[in-house]
Amino acid sequence: MSARRLPRYLVAALVLPGLIGLVLMAPRSGRAQSDVRIDIKGSGTRMKIWMEPLKPEGDRHSSNFALQADEVLASDLTASAVFRVARQGIDSPPSDAQVVVHGSFKVDGQRLRLVGEIHDLPGRRPVFAKEYSSALSDWRALTHAFADDVVLALTGEAGVASSRIAFIAQNGREKELWLMDADGARATQMTRDRSIAQSPSWAPDGSLILFTSYRSGTGTRIYVMPGAGGRVYQVSARAGLNTSAMYSPDGREIAATLSYEGNSEVYVMDARGGSPRRLTNHRSIDTSPSWSPTGREIAFTSDRSGAPQVYVMNKDGSDVRRLTYDLGYTDSPAWSPKGDRIAFVSRAGAGFEIQTCRPDGSDLRLVVSGGSNENPRWSPDGRHLVFASNRGGAFGLYVTDLDGSSPRKLDTGGRIALSPAWSPRLTPPGRMTARVGQSVQGGTR
Amino acid sequence: MKVRHIRLVVTGMLLVAVVLVSGCAKKKPPEPTQAPPVPGETTTPAPAPTPAPPVETPPAPPGVTDAEFSPAFFDVDQSSLNEQGRSALDKNAKILRDHPDAKVEIEGHCDERGTVEYNQALGQRRAEAARDYLVAQGVTADRMTVISYGKDRPFSEGHDEGAWAQNRRAHFRVRS
Repeated sequence: MSARRLPRYLVAALVLPGLIGLVLMAPRSGRAQSDVRIDIKGSGTRMKIWMEPLKPEGDRHSSNFALQADEVLASDLTASAVFRVARQGIDSPPSDAQVVVHGSFKVDGQRLRLVGEIHDLPGRRPVFAKEYSSALSDWRALTHAFADDVVLALTGEAGVASSRIAFIAQNGREKELWLMDADGARATQMTRDRSIAQSPSWAPDGSLILFTSYRSGTGTRIYVMPGAGGRVYQVSARAGLNTSAMYSPDGREIAATLSYEGNSEVYVMDARGGSPRRLTNHRSIDTSPSWSPTGREIAFTSDRSGAPQVYVMNKDGSDVRRLTYDLGYTDSPAWSPKGDRIAFVSRAGAGFEIQTCRPDGSDLRLVVSGGSNENPRWSPDGRHLVFASNRGGAFGLYVTDLDGSSPRKLDTGGRIALSPAWSPRLTPPGRMTARVGQSVQGGTR
Repeated sequence: MKVRHIRLVVTGMLLVAVVLVSGCAKKKPPEPTQAPPVPGETTTPAPAPTPAPPVETPPAPPGVTDAEFSPAFFDVDQSSLNEQGRSALDKNAKILRDHPDAKVEIEGHCDERGTVEYNQALGQRRAEAARDYLVAQGVTADRMTVISYGKDRPFSEGHDEGAWAQNRRAHFRVRS
């Protein structure tokens, strides 16, 4: 069911706290000041939902999986930053919960069937119902698909629990490419080069991951590999630097930093790494390109004014403008998927804070500080940033919901983790059949 | 007598360490040559590439070792040579003139207080600044290769000014 067809009071309940939140979050001036902290309790802007345990249908096997799926579902719905979840059997029922999320879970041999439902409260009229089925081994992915549909049914835009995060895990002097679910589960090692891998970046359709590696033994080169794993292909092995690669939003081009013409500059190549076209022409360091979601502009880092600063230029290299003049050292830009903001790091002491602003440099907001916080990358819905931080000692991965709540740590199994990259939305496995409400996800999203 | 024994043991340990390190560095898969896929194209997962058999690299030419070269250190966020750097490179230029067959790889390194990507570019500039200085001193460019490790191969793992100063350098390794 689309947001348009939601009961009016439900829409008001969803939209009003959001508006209040926006007003509260508006900074007092255009400058970000470390003493002006956004301090809104997450619950103030989140919709309260009541979650009943998934009903196991069938044998003990079903019960065991249903219990685990409950945990995944509750974790996904909380991590969506849209809901405040109260759970039957754990929390007391909130008097003001607007919907109840529930369903049934059936294991049948090696197959799995989940029926997910939403009813409004207190009337318990059906809002959403959908049947999901897959191989039993995909039970987590199936549960994530339901969680994303709950977000879709109640906000009009799907959640991101089905997406994945690529990152770099460090083991001694070696750095390898890894992949995990957005909740940190199912971490998988993708490269075994015993070298240094860096700066992963997803194709817009989630099929491929670009990365930088020293695996050839002759400095940095750009490679690509399927997001599902498999063979590694070389994209750019020009003399000097080959780093910071990122596909254009249409997947037809790659922006990257190359130095084969003598200086570190931003180039755009075709999607196989050919026909490089130089965008920057300055004797300073130019690097770290990040496309705008329209593909018409590119944010990048340059030290042409002295210390590194984030700039924005048109895709042909024209109209270079500095993003902000308020901070002494900024780097690592990441354009939000909706195009409304750019996240970047700014130096603070020996480390970095994370800031965001509009693409014209206005409305600067400090969103993460404490320790060093690096490589911010947006979730596909633009509600979260994942970043690497040493706030807990060794570097690990954290997610901020951009609402003033504390960043949450992703479990990377104790590995030192760096340079995260959030995938676009990925198609869940298995089959889905809508029973109540229409879903843009369908079965072939 | 005792001193000599200790020296022998230390030398032996160093040799073992060198063999171990060079042994590890050789386990590299071959570089792929096939054109990369583009988004939207189906990629058939091929079997993982088999690692190339280890190739014995001959030892460094007699008479020149990495240890004889001095690193050039750099100021914070700088890639231009300071007085220490020039003086270190003057010494390195002499070594290279005295050993006309010796070839070196110049590594650019940075401290940890920058992003991965920016430090990579900064390390490249540091290595190139050292190379260009040596070219001006009469060392032919084809005897030198440059590589930047940015902040990814620090010499000191510390997180203070002393460690950072150690890590901002152009470092020389003898190539065979």
